Amino acid sequence: MADTPEWARLSDQEVVLLARAGRETAYRELIRRYERPIFALLFRMVRDRELAEDLSQETFIKALNAIESYRPEFKFSSWIFKIANNAAIDHLRRRELDTLALDGSPHAETPEAMQATALQIGARQESPLDAVEAKELGGAIEAAIGRLRPEYRSCILLRHVEGRAYEEIAEILDLPLGTVKTYIHRARNELRQTLAHLKE
Amino acid sequence: MTPVPGPHLTPDDLDAWLTGALASAAQDHLTQCPACRDRAETEREIAALLGALPLMSPTAGFADRVMARGTVPEPFSVGSLLSVRARIFATRRTTALAAGLLVLVVGSMAGSIVWTLGHRETLAAFGGWLVTQAGQAAWLGVRGVASNFIEQPWFAGLKSLAGSPSRLGLASALAMVAYLGGVLAFRRLLALPTQQVARAGV
Repeated sequence: MADTPEWARLSDQEVVLLARAGRETAYRELIRRYERPIFALLFRMVRDRELAEDLSQETFIKALNAIESYRPEFKFSSWIFKIANNAAIDHLRRRELDTLALDGSPHAETPEAMQATALQIGARQESPLDAVEAKELGGAIEAAIGRLRPEYRSCILLRHVEGRAYEEIAEILDLPLGTVKTYIHRARNELRQTLAHLKE
Repeated sequence: MTPVPGPHLTPDDLDAWLTGALASAAQDHLTQCPACRDRAETEREIAALLGALPLMSPTAGFADRVMARGTVPEPFSVGSLLSVRARIFATRRTTALAAGLLVLVVGSMAGSIVWTLGHRETLAAFGGWLVTQAGQAAWLGVRGVASNFIEQPWFAGLKSLAGSPSRLGLASALAMVAYLGGVLAFRRLLALPTQQVARAGV
């Protein structure tokens, strides 16, 4: 089609402009670009697959309905991560989760539901041995992340899983840069202490 | 045993080390301090573990579910009017409401035009009366200001100044110089800087 843009060549800002002009395919492109990082962040924040999916949907619907209020001088990723993080923090404030969901959602009542909502680990690994090892290690780090305070969790996930710069994290979380650095250092300290047994 | 140079690494140093941007002095310390080396290696392992966490995706059809619940704004076009038409004719109540509004607007406009055409003399007389009243009010205002001015104690001095052409000329020249000075000073204040201001380093 002559008027179909090559999405890969367009920046987020350009895709947003097309979305504002009413192009549904532009909305779908934004979802395609961010569904995985947003879902991953929310999943690790709330530790429940179904809930993470609901919050991801809520995030995208909010973003798409408010696309007119997005200011192109800021990064689109910062904007959408901010919406997602706010959704997660709001949820965690409403209902404090204190149980780890590595074995499935705390609300799952049957073994099937637990399996369906369990964290899937080892997706990047190749050999079965590697997968078992990585599952053990990945499970430990996921559990350690789950024990962090929500603010530390947001910071460490955005920094080391999403690879965001400190300045962008400060913008996403509406925190001073120094506070973001402190949270990340503390989170790494806590992870180091929690994972110390794996080094032995 | 050789002393280890410099202080132990700070959290910022460890961050810099993780991104390969550690300062050379701190690097010297790191190579000779076992405690800092151990700490830095642990940080690197944690960062690597976090970076290797599995990618995750929502279930299939996520985009469709979002699009079904979101609203794509339609830019204004003839096509977009179709949605307005659909809303108007959605129920009998909305249709009746829209028809009532249309009758009210069109009826008001038609009534206004008909009344204007049938009462031209009345409108002309009202316009004339309005102009007369406005003129009288303006004249009264001017007279009030002038009489107030004349009654001021300094008015006699000003009048005597106007009586002598040389003094009047001198006062006018002084007033003109003061005015021009004021204009120049004001322009200078409002002028944009012609040189770039150096940016502060971050």
